Amino acid sequence: MNNIGKEPRSLAEWITFGIASFILATIIGLVIYTWIENKHEPPILSVTNTQKIRENEGKFYVPFEITNSGGETAESVQIIAELEINGNVETGEQQFEFLSRNEKEEGAFVFNQDPRQGKLTIRVASYKLP
Amino acid sequence: MSILSKYKANVWINEVNDIVRGACGGFLFGIPLLYTMEVWWIGSQVKPATVMLAIALTFLGVYLLNRTEGFRKRRRKSKPYEAVVDTIEAMGIGIVCTSIMLLLLREVTAQTSLSEALGKIIFESVPFTLGVALANQLLGDTRNPKEEGRKEKQPDQLHATLSDLGATLIGATIIGFNIAPTDEIPILAAAISEPRSLGIIAASLVITYGIVFEAGFADQQKRVEQKGIFQRPLSETITCYLISLMAATFMLWFFQRLTFSDPWTMWLDNVLLLGLPASIGGAAGRLAI
Repeated sequence: MNNIGKEPRSLAEWITFGIASFILATIIGLVIYTWIENKHEPPILSVTNTQKIRENEGKFYVPFEITNSGGETAESVQIIAELEINGNVETGEQQFEFLSRNEKEEGAFVFNQDPRQGKLTIRVASYKLP
Repeated sequence: MSILSKYKANVWINEVNDIVRGACGGFLFGIPLLYTMEVWWIGSQVKPATVMLAIALTFLGVYLLNRTEGFRKRRRKSKPYEAVVDTIEAMGIGIVCTSIMLLLLREVTAQTSLSEALGKIIFESVPFTLGVALANQLLGDTRNPKEEGRKEKQPDQLHATLSDLGATLIGATIIGFNIAPTDEIPILAAAISEPRSLGIIAASLVITYGIVFEAGFADQQKRVEQKGIFQRPLSETITCYLISLMAATFMLWFFQRLTFSDPWTMWLDNVLLLGLPASIGGAAGRLAI
């Protein structure tokens, strides 16, 4: 038992070390990759409503997708939807806590009137830098 | 079995034990921060340069810890590079465990961008890696108990069982009380899906079993020998998990996080999510008695 501390590292320990170094090297490599690839551009936010509008119990659900194709993370991203039908304006708003580079988030606006009957605009209103 | 192959098998068992012990130390130390949304946010907005700095500082801190202690049974402090090797292994264990937990809690998904995922994993893995390095200190270390320890008079079955259940309850409450009143549980519960709920149950059982019966923490030998109604490792693990779930339910109700008008599915998700840290606390509690 006394000379146990003087034993060389076993094969099992070397294999563990190999796997651990590989994981750590991969992580460091990926961080460096994102560092180099970072364009240092401000956020570029775009909202699209590609999916179909869904009707349920007299309410109209308008799904949307928001992506940040810019370089930096945007915080408190606010999205506003306005539906204008015969001068009547219905609005909705939604906020996303964080939207980092290339991140995609989804959500939906809910209206009482059919958006297909009027003029619907969904836009990003504001964000702040973290 | 020849002596050589027996030695080889032992080497592998020791290695697995060391890794499990490190991972369990990480879970004990790191789980409260995994349930802290501020740390997720740091991960979301952090710059790659800061992530590199965090890696470097973790390495330094864990290296210094490994110079004095570490998660391994066998210590070779004669060579300075051994501490470096152990540090890299501790960080590997930390990164793997945190990644699994973040995936399970849906803080990292397929939609998460690479830089955000890296930021979250690195910042969550800092306390985790420290826990790995502190594994031996967290709950002491007596893998080879002395003879007099074994000759201690065994308490009767009922008493042993009650003290186990009580210790689980205390441990679960200590960790759970810190997390139950916070907003993280409902936030995580909102995003959880059914397969992930099952995953969380499985993770709770595997981690608590590991902490109590596999990691070689203090008094493990005593635990295996202790007699009690639920003393078979599997039944003890499951019983104590149920106790932790009950404690989690009570704490969530106590802090008004769950009311009787809430749907049962919400109760289920919330309780399972708090049950994970609570059961880890309960496992630590059972070792501490």
